[in-house]
Amino acid sequence: MRLQARIRAGAVIPTASMADIVFLLIIFFILTFNIEVDKARVVLPKSELRFEVPKKAAVVSITENGQMRVSDGDAASTAVSSPEDVLSFATGVIAGNPEKEFVLKADLNVPYKSVDRVVDMLKQARVPVVYLLSDQATAESGGGGG
Amino acid sequence: MADITFLLIIFFMVTSTFAATRGLDFALPKEDRNPPVVEKEESVLIAVHPGGMLEVDGRPIQIGGILDYLKPKLERNPNKPVIIRPDPNAAYGDMVRIYDLLRSGKDKGLEVRNISIPTQREIDQFWY
Repeated sequence: MRLQARIRAGAVIPTASMADIVFLLIIFFILTFNIEVDKARVVLPKSELRFEVPKKAAVVSITENGQMRVSDGDAASTAVSSPEDVLSFATGVIAGNPEKEFVLKADLNVPYKSVDRVVDMLKQARVPVVYLLSDQATAESGGGGG
Repeated sequence: MADITFLLIIFFMVTSTFAATRGLDFALPKEDRNPPVVEKEESVLIAVHPGGMLEVDGRPIQIGGILDYLKPKLERNPNKPVIIRPDPNAAYGDMVRIYDLLRSGKDKGLEVRNISIPTQREIDQFWY
């Protein structure tokens, strides 16, 4: 008996839609692109209430071990050694723009005294509003309602 | 063109971050040399202790009971000041939890209009 060779269909990856997908991806990235001026790694506290932080707001970050970094919202953040440095930084920023908003990006486990000193310096520099950066609280995370 | 588009995608993927861009706003009062005197009896004091323990007007309380405690007081005086006073060694996250609770009270039928978090310097300067 003679066996007939099977005719196999060649495997083809359809690439016609690839350009569309790539363009959609590019549009997505362009719309969501956000340069992160401060790359300090912190675990943010969670809150139910969250407001959009103004773009280009100045940033003060405090890591769990108390290291502080500042950024005016345009340039990458730089390390500062004491809250007094935050005061001179904030005073300079507010001198250029008295309505400039600040963002406080502090680790949830940082002792409150570190945050207190920084907030006090921002008050003395006459910063009008500070945003306490937070993650969204969920029912499981026990946010504000606890 | 495909090369350029792929390069662009790789650039965006590497440089973009899903940064946290939301938070609680906290309006700072203007530096005032002569702040209005608030009598102790007129305000509610929420103390945040290390470990997350809470006291309201000197009595231990669970976080879930704070709004219930405030409700009758704020119904009598909607502008009653509520002061959050975290211990220097309390975790920052615990302070945010209380502040968030008070701020979001409006959605739960209890608006807390007058929340203040004095700094240690202000406490040393103006507290009696």
